[in-house]
Amino acid sequence: MVFTCPVGIGRTTPRDQVSGHTRRKLLHAGALLALGGAATSLTGCDLFDRDDEPAPPPDPLRPMVDEALGLAAAYRATAAANPELTDRLGPIAETHTAHATELARVVGVTLPSAPAADPSATAATEPAGALAALRAREKTAQQSATAACAAAPAERAALLGSIAAARATHQEALK
Amino acid sequence: MRQPTAGEALAAVLSAEYAAIYAYGRIGVRLTGAARESAHQAEAAHRRRRDALVVQLSTTGGTVPPGRAGYALPFPVTDRASALRLAVEVEERTAAHWRAALASTTGPDRDQALAALVEYAVRATRWRKTAGVTPPTVAFPGRPT
Repeated sequence: MVFTCPVGIGRTTPRDQVSGHTRRKLLHAGALLALGGAATSLTGCDLFDRDDEPAPPPDPLRPMVDEALGLAAAYRATAAANPELTDRLGPIAETHTAHATELARVVGVTLPSAPAADPSATAATEPAGALAALRAREKTAQQSATAACAAAPAERAALLGSIAAARATHQEALK
Repeated sequence: MRQPTAGEALAAVLSAEYAAIYAYGRIGVRLTGAARESAHQAEAAHRRRRDALVVQLSTTGGTVPPGRAGYALPFPVTDRASALRLAVEVEERTAAHWRAALASTTGPDRDQALAALVEYAVRATRWRKTAGVTPPTVAFPGRPT
């Protein structure tokens, strides 16, 4: 018994040459082959691909929500380790939280109710090193906001531009 | 509200740059030393952007708004403190115009708008530091408040 595909319907590329086979579908195919006793290949057949609806792509700004929350957590951790810096770092932490809130609203996700702890925060214990570490993080974060702004649709460009600019001003404020 | 075209947005930015250059003329004379030098550098930066915009709008067939002989300042500049306050205001206002241009532009034009927004926001922060304003940053530079 040979499975053949209807000619002229669907794709012309053999299915196994394009990505998209899930493990489950391969198992399905194997099971049916066993049931039918057919030893021939299913190559090129669309029969079992009907549930192949791709999930919508994740919002490209979703990682920026976490990035902003991580920055806020890093500032809080540094301020906790260096109380004399609290007046300088507190407003910047609040800004990052405000960015996360705006980004979450745009993306359509809810912010975690508990503030995120920053896993990478090993908060340097001497102020100069701590400020240098935060400046470096801001620089990286500015670059990610810059790239996001360049790629964004019109309605998101201004918000991302303000976030990139804010991260640049933080580097200046930490000098 | 209709999104302004890139030409309309950049024409609005150009008008803001004219006003910034005028304002820095009034700011510089009230400052001394390093602050005066910073004001001169800032004014030069706004002049460079003005010149580039005039060329860009002319060559792309856009409307080039004329500069005016004078501009109403938001408050009188009578001393160092008011000069620094106006310098912050000038940077934030021009940053706001460039920010608005982001939505109307793509590609290199948007990159240029973002570079201006970032530069002016950073300069506003420097002026706040010079003036002793805390915090020296705002959450959303250039966003209308």
